[in-house]
Amino acid sequence: MIKKLTFLVLLVAAMGLATTLTVIGPWAGTEMDKFVPVLNEFTRQTGIDVEYKIYRAEDLMNVLPAQFLSKRAPGDVIFMWANFIREYGKKGHIIPLSDVIDSEEYLPGALDAVTADGELYGSAYTGKVKPGFWYRKSFFSEHGLKVPTSWDEFVALLEKLKNMPNLNAPIASGNGVGWPLSDVTEHFLATFGGPELTYDLIEGNILWDSHIVRNGLEKLASLISKGYFGEPTEWTMALQQWWAGDYALYFMGSWITGMVDDPNDLGVFALPGAKGVVFGADYAFVPKYTKYPDEAKRLIAWLCGREGQTVQVSQGGHVATVKGIDLANYPPVDREVAKIIQGVTALPDLDDTIGGEFQTTFWDQLKLLWVSPDRLDDVINVIQEKAPRR
Amino acid sequence: MSRKRGSKYAAFFLLPALIMLAVFVIYPVGRTAYISFFDENGTFVGLKNYSKVLTSREIIDLSGFSRGFPLGALVHNIIWVAIHLPLTIILGLSLAVLLKGVKGGSIIKSIVFLGMVMPMIIGGVMINFMFDRNLGVVNAFLGLFGFQAKSWTVYPDSALLSLIFGSVWLWTGFSVILYSAGLETIPKDYYEAAKLDGAGPWKTFTKITIPLLKPITVVVATMTLLWELKIFDIVYVTTAGGPGGASNVMALQMYIYAFRALDFNRAAVVAVILTLFTLLVSIPLVRSVRDDER
Repeated sequence: MIKKLTFLVLLVAAMGLATTLTVIGPWAGTEMDKFVPVLNEFTRQTGIDVEYKIYRAEDLMNVLPAQFLSKRAPGDVIFMWANFIREYGKKGHIIPLSDVIDSEEYLPGALDAVTADGELYGSAYTGKVKPGFWYRKSFFSEHGLKVPTSWDEFVALLEKLKNMPNLNAPIASGNGVGWPLSDVTEHFLATFGGPELTYDLIEGNILWDSHIVRNGLEKLASLISKGYFGEPTEWTMALQQWWAGDYALYFMGSWITGMVDDPNDLGVFALPGAKGVVFGADYAFVPKYTKYPDEAKRLIAWLCGREGQTVQVSQGGHVATVKGIDLANYPPVDREVAKIIQGVTALPDLDDTIGGEFQTTFWDQLKLLWVSPDRLDDVINVIQEKAPRR
Repeated sequence: MSRKRGSKYAAFFLLPALIMLAVFVIYPVGRTAYISFFDENGTFVGLKNYSKVLTSREIIDLSGFSRGFPLGALVHNIIWVAIHLPLTIILGLSLAVLLKGVKGGSIIKSIVFLGMVMPMIIGGVMINFMFDRNLGVVNAFLGLFGFQAKSWTVYPDSALLSLIFGSVWLWTGFSVILYSAGLETIPKDYYEAAKLDGAGPWKTFTKITIPLLKPITVVVATMTLLWELKIFDIVYVTTAGGPGGASNVMALQMYIYAFRALDFNRAAVVAVILTLFTLLVSIPLVRSVRDDER
């Protein structure tokens, strides 16, 4: 009896002492299915259990400020927007990671967005490229279509697609909180204004009603007004419709490769003349209020290091931010994506980097532009009101 | 038991409720009003935040009256009240009267009430589907009359109206149930007497039913008004206030100030304005019932 009781006490004690880390990230569905194996591999190697919870960054934005004020945190490693990590790192709510993350190991500039006052408050996990317009190779070959190499060819392709009877529109427009439309817009701005325009807009060095910005937006608005973009539709539904042949092109990030039935049928092209593409890394941080700071730092260092990122990129849809990952670890379709970004500048995501009220306004105004391209002036004025200014 | 002792007992039993009220209602309300007069550094700025908020295009956009939506969150709330409140009352009362005594009426009432039982977040998703180009019941219906299908919630001219009409569907169950209960309390003798005096159905309805249902109408109107002024979830889920702010409302703008701009002072201003509006409208309604009772 005493033996049984002792065993029971030890068992309960062991259960109480066991560490379970909570990771909070935005990925659900197929994206989550590709992330969970990474966490499982960490558990296998270290014996530390990890629980995964889904929270979109938009929802975390409502929860974290209040939790931090009461010195609490809903997770031990949290994926969040870079501007949030930087801001709340400076306010002292986030554990600095300079002792476990070596920025020299990462792609140039990969950790800039989470560095403030010389301190590293977060780390870059894998990233996603937003390379351009995706199409189905089978669709293009069936209809004798070619990838455009100039703006005129691009417009001619759209006109040809518009005249196809079974298409809703040449390009699918993803709706939702607004990021699918902002991704397209950023691509137009970087193509017609040059990669440095993105940096200037982030820093507030240039106004939204300047000629260079207006030029990019007018090109986009002209395509919308000609009916080349479809009506905004919830982005995952638009993905299904595009895959089913209701649209020919869809501007999306590289995560699309993990969301379609046959990734080998995917082809992608950037706007002709594009010299920069957005490379959006997923950033994570360890809140100051974690119960297990050492284990959490170990987890974030492992996840963002070569081992974690290797497991993730092999799942498809992700591109590593840490150096030294063999290309052989990537599925073939992701190697195609890697080819596109060769020789072009990797740009930060404009609205994610600025964040705050600007981001909400930017997304919302683009929704207006998509259905009322004639109101471009209104859209520019409202965005300018909320944009950073030097 | 003496009167003094009775008062002590009353105070003792009231104390827990009063403490809860003070901590969870009175303090937050007072604190919200307080911070609305300060800037983010804690400096007293008087009415500066109010002037900033009330002159911002997010709240009132007068140019919208010539250009089209958006007109500003405050104006959108007023439009919401102007359309939703009478529709909910008229529909609720009509359905309650029409279904009274009808076989299977309670089943229909239950179906109408489903909108109320549903979490408003789900209601918002349902509204999105209802007005969707491909899946929506609205387009299916309008298609019968030759209207071209479109996703009504993505266009500035129709986004707010779609939300308002969708919310009528969600909220009408509330007024139906209350009016149905109210109708049961009207003595049958009144109708029989009116019939003997030669009153027709319309006269009976306007001279007996409507006046005797006035307390119910006040409750329905007050509750509906409060709901309309604090409307958030449906808008957040369906359009997030867009496109271009065309369906933005005060509660959503308060959320954007607080959790996007992280400007709690401006958010507090919107909260105070909403509270004042609520009091301004609901106090006269409650008073009119009290006067009737006297």
